[in-house]
Amino acid sequence: MLLPFFVGAVLLVVLPMFLTVGLAFTDYDALSLPSWRGVQNFVDIMRRDLFQIAVRNSLIYVGLAVPLRLLGALALALFLNGRRRGLYLYRTAVYLPTVIPTIAYALIWLWIYNPIYGPLNHLLGALGLPEPLWLVNSQTALLSIVLMATFQIGEGFVILLAGLQDVPHDYYDAAAVDGGGQWTMFRHITLPLLMPWLVLLTIRDLIASAQQSFAPAYLMTGGGPYYATLFLPLLVFEEAFDRFRFGHASAMMVVMFIGMGLLLYLLYRTVGGWGYADDV
Amino acid sequence: MPMTFKGKLHWWYLWRYLFPTLLYHGAALVVTGIFVLPLVWMLANSLRQPGLPPPLTVEWWPTPLAWANYWEIFQIVPLAGYIRSSVWVGVWGVVITGVTASWTGFAMAQLPPASRRWLVSLAVLLMMAPSSALWLARFVIFKQLGLLDSYGALIAPSIMGTSASFVLLFYWTFRRVPLELFESARLDGAGAFHSWWALGLPLARPTLVAVGVLTFMHYWSDFIDPLLYLKSESRYTLAIGLRILQQLDLTNWPLLMAGAAVMTMPVVVSYLFVQRFAWMEGRLAGLVR
Repeated sequence: MLLPFFVGAVLLVVLPMFLTVGLAFTDYDALSLPSWRGVQNFVDIMRRDLFQIAVRNSLIYVGLAVPLRLLGALALALFLNGRRRGLYLYRTAVYLPTVIPTIAYALIWLWIYNPIYGPLNHLLGALGLPEPLWLVNSQTALLSIVLMATFQIGEGFVILLAGLQDVPHDYYDAAAVDGGGQWTMFRHITLPLLMPWLVLLTIRDLIASAQQSFAPAYLMTGGGPYYATLFLPLLVFEEAFDRFRFGHASAMMVVMFIGMGLLLYLLYRTVGGWGYADDV
Repeated sequence: MPMTFKGKLHWWYLWRYLFPTLLYHGAALVVTGIFVLPLVWMLANSLRQPGLPPPLTVEWWPTPLAWANYWEIFQIVPLAGYIRSSVWVGVWGVVITGVTASWTGFAMAQLPPASRRWLVSLAVLLMMAPSSALWLARFVIFKQLGLLDSYGALIAPSIMGTSASFVLLFYWTFRRVPLELFESARLDGAGAFHSWWALGLPLARPTLVAVGVLTFMHYWSDFIDPLLYLKSESRYTLAIGLRILQQLDLTNWPLLMAGAAVMTMPVVVSYLFVQRFAWMEGRLAGLVR
């Protein structure tokens, strides 16, 4: 009964992982047999300007999108926590953008961001606010892609909501007796108890951002303008499936995951563990 | 019940209860309204008469309503064929996932605690594996297996229950069933597969339905797999179909939005239908996609 699961896991996850690492040291075009190249692929990609641009863009994306999405989910969870009437409807609405299929979401935002006809700039104009060029301007294109990602936070929102509801009520009562204000309660009760969830979400968002940035860049900007939204997954995709340089693409992939590992390690050191602090 | 004092609203009721409540709901409506806005704009624009000059102010409700847009997109691209492909992939995905995920969850629930814990961590690790890391190597593997450009490549993840979160959903469902039930079935001579079919599945019916719907949503929405593994136009799924529509006519926004609506609305409706389970799964997948 467990057989299909194990076969699938080995064939579709474990084997591909090792294969990617293996291919990173070879020259392979998906037609002829791979030939060994040693670390030459890594030397080559490091010298490519586009690779450096993609690394920088991906780092900026992660640096902006991960904290923004986390804060957004946390703020919404705190706001929509409780037992009021109608909360269920609000929560449903917050989750909605998360279920929209990738390509439809990209097309909708392409329309929303249209600088001349799009509804967003009409709305901003009506409110007397500046109307940026969004995806068309290389200064704002990356930010626009980050912004649209901050609306697909339903999963994080639900996780934190559940985390909030698990906080025992006695804690707040006790704090109220001791004369703790709203901020003190949040700082010393809510936040420490939510910490494991927050750390978990950060880890998962770090990992997810690897593919999150692909679809919007591929569908909406093609990596432009002037490579402003060229992220690593897009470059890997083009390298492998447009130019059939699987060796180079795999090497980029490996660098990407080493980088991700380093970021996770950094997170581990900063938080000091995985968030299970004892000083609750 | 408003608190009244001799027929009049008491001032402190207004101050302490009514104003804060109104303020809260006002703020909540604004905030959550923003999250619904993309869908509203998609629908509003999809009903706009094509060929009219584009709007110059925010248009909440176009006049006249051009329902013909939804007919039109089926003429420009073979949308019906794309939908058929998507449904085909989705149905097979659901059927296989229903079997494999429930098998795995069923077996896990009956293992000794140590192996259980080990399997749960394995499932969590599998969900953590970033899918982009697998693109290239899966392409190579599918090529070797002769699965490229076939629905097989798209359905392949269903062997392992599509997502480890579905396996865990079944595992949690079966864990709530007292072990003695399956134990006594075994003593009565029922094999593992028989007790899965006759005892397990009927008990897990709500989970089965929810996982089925979520699985269908997954395959229906999937853009990257068909992009990577399909070549023949006759096999394209709806996600790729929308991409083609976009490439054909980038500036005809009403038609593009109609296409997006055709793809989005079934997912939104099914989401509302299985919301509680979607949240549970979201909680899992969220932790660990």
